[in-house]
Formats: sequence, structure tokens, C-alpha cells
Amino acid sequence: MKVLLFVIAVAVSIAAVALFVRGALTLYRLIGAGQPSPGRLGPVGKRLGNMVTEILSHRRFRARPLVKAAHWVVMVSFILLVPTLAIAYAQVLDPYAELPIIGGWPVWQWLLELFSVGGLVAIVVLFTVRLRHPSEPEDAAGARDWRSRFFGSTRWQGYFVEAVIAAVLVCVLVMHVLTSAVLARYPETAEAGSWVHYPLTFWVGPLFWSLPPVALEIGIVVAATFKILVSMVWLGVVGYATTMSVAWHRFLGVLNVYARRETDGTPALGAAAPMLVDGKAFDIRDLDDLDEDATFGVGKIEEFGWKSLLDFASCTECGRCQDLCPAWNTGKPLSPKLFTLALRDQAAGMEHSLDIFAALKSAGAAGELAAPTRDADLVGGVISPDVLWSCTTCGACVDQCPVDIEHVDHIIDLRRHEVMVKSEFPEEFNGLFGNLETKGNPWGLPPRDRMDWAKGLDFDVPVLGTDVTSADEVDHVLWVGCAGAYDEKGKKTTRAVAELLHLAGVKFAVLGQAETCCGDSARRAGNEATYQGLATENIETFASYGVEKVVVTCAHCLNSIGREYGQLGADYRVEHHTQVLNRLIRDGRLNVVAPPEDERRQITYHDPCYLGRHNGEYDAPRELLASLPEAELVEMEHSGSSSMCCGGGGARMWTEESIGTRINSARMDEAEATGAATVATACPFCAIMLGDAAASRDQAPAVTDVAHLVLAGVKRGLTNPTNEAETES
Amino acid sequence: MSENVVVLVGANAEVLDASTAELLTLAGQLGRPVAVVAGEAPQALVAELGRFGAAEVHLVSCPQLSDSLVLAKAALLADRAVAAHAKVILVASGLEGNEVAGLVAAKLSAGLITDVVTARFETAELVADKVVWAGKYTVTAKVLTEVAVLTVKPHSCVPLIAEVEAEVRQARFDFEPVAPVARVISAEPTAATKRPKLVEANVVVSGGRGTDGDFAPVEALADALGGAVGGSRAAVDAGYVPQTLQVGQTGKSVSPDLYVALGISGAIQHIAGMRTARRILAVNSDPEAPIHRLADLSVVGDLKTIVPAVVARLG
Amino acid sequence: MRIIALVKYVPDSGDEVGFEADLSLGRVGPSSRLSELDEYAVEQALRLRTELAGATLTVLSVGPAEAESALRKALQMGADDAVLVTDEAIAGSDVFGTATVLSAAIRSLEGGLVVAGMSSTDAGLGVVPALLADSLCWPLLSQAAAVSVEAGLAKIARVDETGSRVVEAALPAVVSVTDQSGEPRYPSFKDVLAAKKKSVATLTLADLGVDASAVGVGSARVEVLAVGRNPDRAAGRVIVDVDGSSVDEIVDFLAAATK
Repeated sequence: MKVLLFVIAVAVSIAAVALFVRGALTLYRLIGAGQPSPGRLGPVGKRLGNMVTEILSHRRFRARPLVKAAHWVVMVSFILLVPTLAIAYAQVLDPYAELPIIGGWPVWQWLLELFSVGGLVAIVVLFTVRLRHPSEPEDAAGARDWRSRFFGSTRWQGYFVEAVIAAVLVCVLVMHVLTSAVLARYPETAEAGSWVHYPLTFWVGPLFWSLPPVALEIGIVVAATFKILVSMVWLGVVGYATTMSVAWHRFLGVLNVYARRETDGTPALGAAAPMLVDGKAFDIRDLDDLDEDATFGVGKIEEFGWKSLLDFASCTECGRCQDLCPAWNTGKPLSPKLFTLALRDQAAGMEHSLDIFAALKSAGAAGELAAPTRDADLVGGVISPDVLWSCTTCGACVDQCPVDIEHVDHIIDLRRHEVMVKSEFPEEFNGLFGNLETKGNPWGLPPRDRMDWAKGLDFDVPVLGTDVTSADEVDHVLWVGCAGAYDEKGKKTTRAVAELLHLAGVKFAVLGQAETCCGDSARRAGNEATYQGLATENIETFASYGVEKVVVTCAHCLNSIGREYGQLGADYRVEHHTQVLNRLIRDGRLNVVAPPEDERRQITYHDPCYLGRHNGEYDAPRELLASLPEAELVEMEHSGSSSMCCGGGGARMWTEESIGTRINSARMDEAEATGAATVATACPFCAIMLGDAAASRDQAPAVTDVAHLVLAGVKRGLTNPTNEAETES
Repeated sequence: MSENVVVLVGANAEVLDASTAELLTLAGQLGRPVAVVAGEAPQALVAELGRFGAAEVHLVSCPQLSDSLVLAKAALLADRAVAAHAKVILVASGLEGNEVAGLVAAKLSAGLITDVVTARFETAELVADKVVWAGKYTVTAKVLTEVAVLTVKPHSCVPLIAEVEAEVRQARFDFEPVAPVARVISAEPTAATKRPKLVEANVVVSGGRGTDGDFAPVEALADALGGAVGGSRAAVDAGYVPQTLQVGQTGKSVSPDLYVALGISGAIQHIAGMRTARRILAVNSDPEAPIHRLADLSVVGDLKTIVPAVVARLG
Repeated sequence: MRIIALVKYVPDSGDEVGFEADLSLGRVGPSSRLSELDEYAVEQALRLRTELAGATLTVLSVGPAEAESALRKALQMGADDAVLVTDEAIAGSDVFGTATVLSAAIRSLEGGLVVAGMSSTDAGLGVVPALLADSLCWPLLSQAAAVSVEAGLAKIARVDETGSRVVEAALPAVVSVTDQSGEPRYPSFKDVLAAKKKSVATLTLADLGVDASAVGVGSARVEVLAVGRNPDRAAGRVIVDVDGSSVDEIVDFLAAATK
């Protein structure tokens, strides 16, 4: 009988392995057919090092500590189970077979048992988590279930892989119980079956002593066979279903982490990936080499780089991205998860699973084509344009993804094609692009008005080129930006920062009319050409005045100038005004004075996405607020790296929000829930968006830039010198 | 001896419109007004023309008029101008008016100034003022030719009654083009409303994007003040009002005594169409809207509550 | 068949360009560009080119050398080639001089359909298309909110102070379109790259056989005596309404204004 079982096991294994190899080859060919993705394979040592530490530490699993721990245990147990699967074939023929060398090693056996029991507990935890999240397309009320990150994930696949793991672990434990039982029964093998080698299972053994040893041996053989069959069924199913990425992530996810965008382990945020044309980064100053038939951005699935295709294939359908997406949470069709899965299935040439299809349909995210061919237009055919244009590029998805998928870069690549090749985009962008191209600012206002903010200040603001010849004559160059020059609230913030710098005795200058838009909105909208036109103009201006570092008041300018201009060969050190003000206060050059008792208040801080998530600065503004003696900082439900977007990024500031509810309104709800009377922020876009949300409510918190609060505190100190003794040092 | 000044009488020549009265008054300042009516006209019209100073009224029938876009009218006017030895020809400014004026000037090798706001003779030479660059500059120009053709903006002068017994001449003009011409295959006159014509009204109440599609407050206020209804480009694009009511650079240019801008942000293209209004009132909920820097009285608030309250007080 | 779209290079309405020494309107400023209203003409001309099999679109302008950038923009939108008539002698021309030059160019280019904008954003006359039709002896289909061509017959829908009319004429014809005729397309970057290879030819008066005496300041029938800056309207009173607090003041204002 053992031989029969062995033959069955081997036969099934051969078939399963064949299917798996075929599946792996299919995926290899599919991904390999992608466009070049330069720089993703090396430096090998650094990438390997990061991959190992990232995976072993699970540092990319954000929040949800129970799930993180459970998954870690399951992952390690999966790795440990591989050798036990290998030896299982021997155990079908000889129930006492052991792995060579380590098989009898207590250290190995303890590890194995620990992770088998731990893994079983963990998989039950994960199973319960998945079960508790309903993922029906419609709940009883007919609306989508926002709470579930598993909405749209392929249910049967999730349960299947979890069930397989559970079954295999149960088999392992059963085999251990029975082996320890049969060994421990007899004195000559008692030690071999004792707690020394079976620490967690030995105590169950005696329950089976009433059975003859032969029965136990048959039990072991059957369990071993069952373990092999279950594992092989898994292997075969997975091999057959190449889009079953909740299983494939075990292999592809590892590769994806290896080939991630940033080799230092940070998420793919901040700068958008450069636009590749024929494998080379596009530079508008270098158009002569451009091929006539060059295409820009991505229109069809085959135009994605291989790394992007690997991204789509690696998605575990965990939905952490979907959970935090501000667009999804306010009723837009965009779910970063569904977006990724739609592209995954398109790349594989497979139909969506029922769950994914139902989710896409109910969200209004599906494209027009019922069965798209491989060369179908992605936007319009596979996914609806609303999916693409609803994105604010806030980066919460990228930040959350445990397998390092680069959602924002993919969205921007698709937008590039829509704008630069098809000329199809939200009609409000006509005005935006026209204004940027003719006037150098999104509002289309005259360039000569850029210094209006400085009118009426009781000190002169030096302008580079007129009052000062070069940047090294001053301590700081203050980059005003378009919002800081043209928006009324933004202008007030610029004035406040200028006043603070002046009061601190800092020598600074501005560029005045020589500034043109940093280009962020154009780049986020997909108009890489207009962005580069603006950026190269600024780079030339910086060069002519020897500008190497600037201070900005806008998070978008911070990101663009500080993180993206480097792609055009020009690196600048960019500081945010909150960082500079923080330093000035710490150095004692600015003193903030407390107001009288009755002016104390609760303040909540809204992290601008492009300052916080994209550029890692969560602390400086909070420290600044902490330096205000009257302020008591309360945090919103989503703050710090899980902060919710104001809705203004991704060039959405310039478009009407006509689907679902408004993102800025949802964020203002969170602010109101803290009970704070003031919402402080550090970006003019956020100030505008949150200000709009506040304006349409009767009693809303006051929205203000951190700089105003600091200025008020400093001015108090100047008008009331006796209070200086109470100031923070 | 007073030279003849020919005035083309307004398009729907059944009732005397305000712009024709203004043209006649201006003509009276420049010389001897001769009114040219293209097409049939009721007797009452002739009397009205005389009331505003038309010394001669030419009633010219032209069978080709309705089939022709502008050429027949222009040829007719040129013909009458020659017959009357006119020194100046005045046409009301407008899309058609400017074209007619241009063609007449071409035919008579006359100087042309469009959209004038004032005109006068300075030692036998005709001098006129017009506004350019979206209203920022006023240009004063002199016509060098024997004959001058001017198109005149509405509200450029106050119509004065100067009762004369008009001498009526009937004439017939046949437009016989030598070159191929365009043919009008269907025509619908502007629907008459009880409200005054936009370009002639003394009061204009306009609505913009801030009305959110509901023009009821705009119309109610216009009616309460006896004025015309207008709209910004944004309102036209959104379908709130027809394009014929658009005030702005590519719409109508108005110069009323009172202009009320409701829910209008004040983009430069709109300002160009109304900046010469004597008094401007604006209501807009956005405190940063540029219109607040232009209006004589500017209210930051919700027009949907404020305007009905105002209308109730007026009514 | 050659379609010719007419474009004018004008200063942006936000620029302070002002006037030349001879008091003619300035043309070149920091944001000077293709007149917004002429973009509609180019757009309609592009659509008509699709309707007329085998037609090409040439975009034509009369102006200073800098006007080439306006033509470039039109080429980016999709026009096939461009012609700039530039000659010092043309400076200061009135509408009649401009029309003379344009019609000579149109005849020399053997155009079969001319598409122009409704008026220029600087002087705002709207007269040139009529003068062109007169000079070319072609039918005039002006101020169209919609235009179409079928079997050699062009048809427009026009709305003016007389009402709405539908007008048709056989080609060749002069058509002008308003800003109601359809949003001008935004050139994709591919279009921008393709435009780099397209040609802009320059012509002088001599090339067109037009005598300098027929154009320029010398031929103008009107002489500018003076220009004066109109004072900007001063801001008046700004009040914030709180629960109808502004109604009283508004009513008083209206009463005073309509007295």
C-alpha cells in the first residue's frame, strides 16, 4: 500500500510540478516581454541586503500589529515546511525517515514545531480577519462596503491558500504526534519520541498508545501522502492560475522587493519616476534623438516596463492601499488594488475573477470593453478614465504596500499617455496647461504680479538680479511659488514667513518675476513636456544666480525642486519653512510668547502629503506647534504616515470633484471630530482645500498655516517685552 | 451749411430702438441727420425718427435684403450715402453693424472707426474716441478721408428729442452682385422679451457660475429694477443662459447706469464687457474673487439668500 | 483644396503693451501669442479639412517676425504648413491695408476656403473677413457658431443682433467663426514634435506684388491723435454679509444708482 501511495504522490507531484513550471515560465515570459526597466537589477549586493532585511523584518507592514505578526509566522513556517515536504516523499515509504543531518537535531525540531503550532494559530487568525471583512459588492443597503479592504479581492483564492496552509500544518502536527506516539511508547525509542525532539506534540502521543504501532505508522504514511497531495494540489492550482497572486506573491513578491525603485528601502514616493522613451529617461532639452514613432507614457499593457508588470503580478490583494485611498473612501471608482488587479489580469490575458469583476462594475471602474484584447487601450478599454483622473497622488497606497508596488508611478505613466499622445484629459486641464505655458502659473495671472505679496511690508525684500547679484550674498533664497504669489491665503503665508525671517535677522532674497511655476501640477497631470519646460527654465534661473538651496512654503514646490529637478541634472537642497522656523526657534533667534490664559486652544495638524508621506517630514511642523505655549496638539484619526489627503494633489486642485463626496470635506470631518478650534497645515494647497471645506460649513475650525501661529506668538513677544521671561528657550 | 449724416436705422425696424435714437442725436450734433431704413417701415416709425431729429427719412425697399447676409444692406447704405452726399455715416456697433460699416467704407474709400464712444468735428475733420485693450486705453483718432464711417457703441450719448418734420423719400434698391454671394436659407428674429435689450438697457443684472444654474434670483432682480438679464461666459458655457445674453469680450459690451454681477468672479474677459458701467454692484461668496476689487459696492455672501431678500424689499 | 486659416499674433490681454511711437497698437509683448479667438478658427479649419477629402490646411498671418510663434502654435494644433507675410512697410496698416495684404496672399496661395476668427482681441473690429470677401469677390459666411461643408457647399449658423440665421454659399468662400464654434484642441506632445518639421514660409510685399503705398501708416485712412490711459476702476466698498446684514445697504445702493 505504501508503494501505491508513493506512486500516487509522485504522479500527482509530477503533474503539479509540470503545471507550476509552466505557470512560472508563463509569468517569466509575460513579465519579460515588458519594456526595459533600467536600474532594477543592480547593485546586486545592496538589493539583496535590503530584500532580506525588509522581508525578515516585515517593516513594510504598516500598523495592524496582529496581522503583521501572524503573517510573519506563517511566512517563516512556509519556508521551514519546504524541506519537510521533501522528506515527506521518503516518509510515505518509511514513516521514520528523517531529513539528513538536521532531521534529528533538536534545534531544528523545536523550530519546526514552534512554527507549526504558531503557524496554525496564525493562519487561523488571518482566516478570521479575512472572514470578518465582508467583501460583498453590495451590502444590505446597496452601497459599497467601505470598511473592507478585502472588497474586490478574490475570496475563494484567499480562503484556498489559507486552507492549504492550515491543512499542511495540521498534517505536520499529526505526523509529529503519531511519530512521537509510536516512538515514545517503547523504552528503546522513548528518548527519540520525547519532548526533546517533539516539544509541543509529545504530550498528545499517549492518547494513541492504545492503538497498535502499525496503525500509527499507517497514520503517518497517510498523513505524509495527504500532505504531499495537498501541497501538490496547491502547486498545480497555482501553476495553472497565474493570476492567483495571493499565492504567487510568495515568489513574485520577493522578486518585487528585490527590484524595488529605491534601493535604500524607502517607499517609491517623492519624485515621480522619469518618463522612459525607448528605455531612456526623457529630457526635453534633448529631442533630436527622439524617434519619430516614440510613444510617451503607457497606453497599452505591453508599453509598461517589466518591473511594472511584475508589480501587477505580485499584488496580494490585501487591500491596505484601498483602505487608505482618499478617492476610494469618498466614492470615486479608484481603488489602487482594483486598479492593480485590472492591469494584472490584462497583462495575463485573463478574465477577472467574479469578485474583481463585480467590484469593478459596482464601483464604476470597469472600462468599456467586456473582453479586452491584449492591445486594447488601457484607459477607457480596461479601466474607466474616472479611475485614472480621481487619483490625488497622495501616496498612501505606495506607503502601505507590503510588496512595494508603485501605484502612483503607474497612474502617472497612464496619464502621460492620455495627455501627451491622445490629448484626452479632464477639460479643466485645457486652462491649466494653457496658463502654465503662457503665463507660467496655474491661474494665468500676469508674471509681473508675483511680487504683489511684498507690498506694504515694513521692510524691503531684496530681489535677486535687482538688489542682490548672487545667492551667496544671502543666507536663504525664499522660493515664493505660485500659490504664495497669487492666492490670497498663500500671499499672507509668504508675508508671514518673510516677516519671521526678517525678525530673526536672517538675510534672504527672492527671485521675484524670475520665478515660474515649479511644474508639479503639470507633472502630476501627466504633462511631462510642460513640466520639463517649466523646470528647465527654473534650473537656468537658479544657475544664473548661483542658487543651490532654497526655502519653500509649499510642499509641492518642495517635492518638485528638491526631489525631481535632480532627474534633470540639477540637485538642490530644499528646506520647508517649518524646518527653517523650527531651527530659528531652537537657536533662539525667534522667541514665541504665550498668550493670556483664555487664549489657549486645541490645535490639530494636517500633514500635507507632499511634506509628510512623500518627504518624510512629520516632526518639524509638530515641533513648531509644540513650541507654541498656548497650543495643545490633538491628532486626527488619520495622521502622520497614514494621514488623509486634502484632495488637492495630483492636479486635482484644478478640477471639479463631481463623483461621490468631497475629499476635503471628509478630511474636515476628521478635523472637527478632534474638537480642535484650529487646523494647522503647512502647504497652501491644503490651506485652500481645507479652507473651502470650512467655508461651506456653519461652524468649522479655522484653517491656518503654521507660520501664522508662530508669527502671532513672536509678535506677542515684541509688543509685550515683559512676557519674554516666560518664553521657551 | 450742415452736411448730411446718414444713420442706418436698426435691424428690426418696426419700433424705434434706443440705439437709433442715440445715433440720430449724435448725427444732429455732427450735421443734418438722414435716416435710412432698409426694408418696409410703419408710419409710426417715420414719426419717431422725426421726433429725434431726422430731417430726411429714406424708406428703401430691397427685395434681396432677407436673402443676403450683409452685402445687400451694405450696398444699399452705400448707395443712399452717395445719393445724399453724406459726409458721415453712422451705424450701431455690433457684429452685423461693424461688417456693414466696413463694407460701406470699402466701397466709398472712406475712413472707418468702429465702436466709438464720442465723435465731433474739429475744424472740418471728424475726430472720434474709442476704447481699446479691454477698456484700458482710449484712442482719439481723426478721419483723413472725405467721408467717414463710424459704428457707435450704445449708451455713448443721451438721445435728445429734436422734433422735426421729416422729409420722406421712398426708394427701391436692387442688389445685383457681380460676384457669387451667400444666401440666407432660414432666419429667426431674436425672440422679443418684455425686458429691455441687453446692450441698450440702463440696468443689467448678470449671473455667473455662482448661481449654480438657478437664474431665478437674477431674473427676479432684473425685473424688479426693470433691467435686462445677462450672463458671464461661464454661465453660457454651463447652459444657464443663451449666448445672446453673454456679457464680455466675446459677447456683448454693455455700458448701463447700473450693472449687478451675481455669482460672477470677475475674469478679465468679463470685465472688458461691462467696466464702463456707471455703478457696479457685486455679490459673490468667494472673498478672493477679483470682482470685489472692481465693484462700487461688493458683498461677500450667498446670492441665493441675499437677492430674494433684496427683491422682497424692492417689491 | 487648400484651406487657409487666418491668425493674428497679439499681446496677451494681461500684458501692458500699449502703443508704438506712432501710436499704433503694440504687437509684441512678453506673453504675445496666437490670438485666443483665432484658435477657434484653426480648430474649425482642422475639422473642415477632415470633412474635405484631400484638403490641406495652411495657416496665414500678417505681422512682425515674432508672429512666427503664433504660426507655430497653429502648426502644433495640426495645420500642415504656415505662411508669414512680414514687411516693415506693413506696420501701422489699418483694416483696409491688412485686408489688401491678406487677399493678395490668399490669391497667391490659391486658397479655396478661408477661415478666420470673429475679431482680434486687441482692436476688436471683426471687419477684416467682410473686407476680404469683398476684395476676393467670394461669398461671406461670417460670425458662424457652427460651420459645415458638404459637396462644395458651405453652411453656417449665425447669431447676431438681427436674430439667428442659417446661411450657405458655394466654395470658394470666406468663413469666420465665433468662440461658440467648438473648443480648440490641445496639441498632444506628439503633435508638438511633428510640428517642428513643418515649414513656415515668409513672404514680403514684393513677393505678393503689393505696392507699399497701398499699406502701412501712409495709406491709413485714419490718424491716431492721442492715446490716454483710462484710470482703473477703483475698488469700492466691500462688506461681508452675515445673515442678511447687507440687504439694507444694497437696497440703498440700488435706489441711488437707478435714480
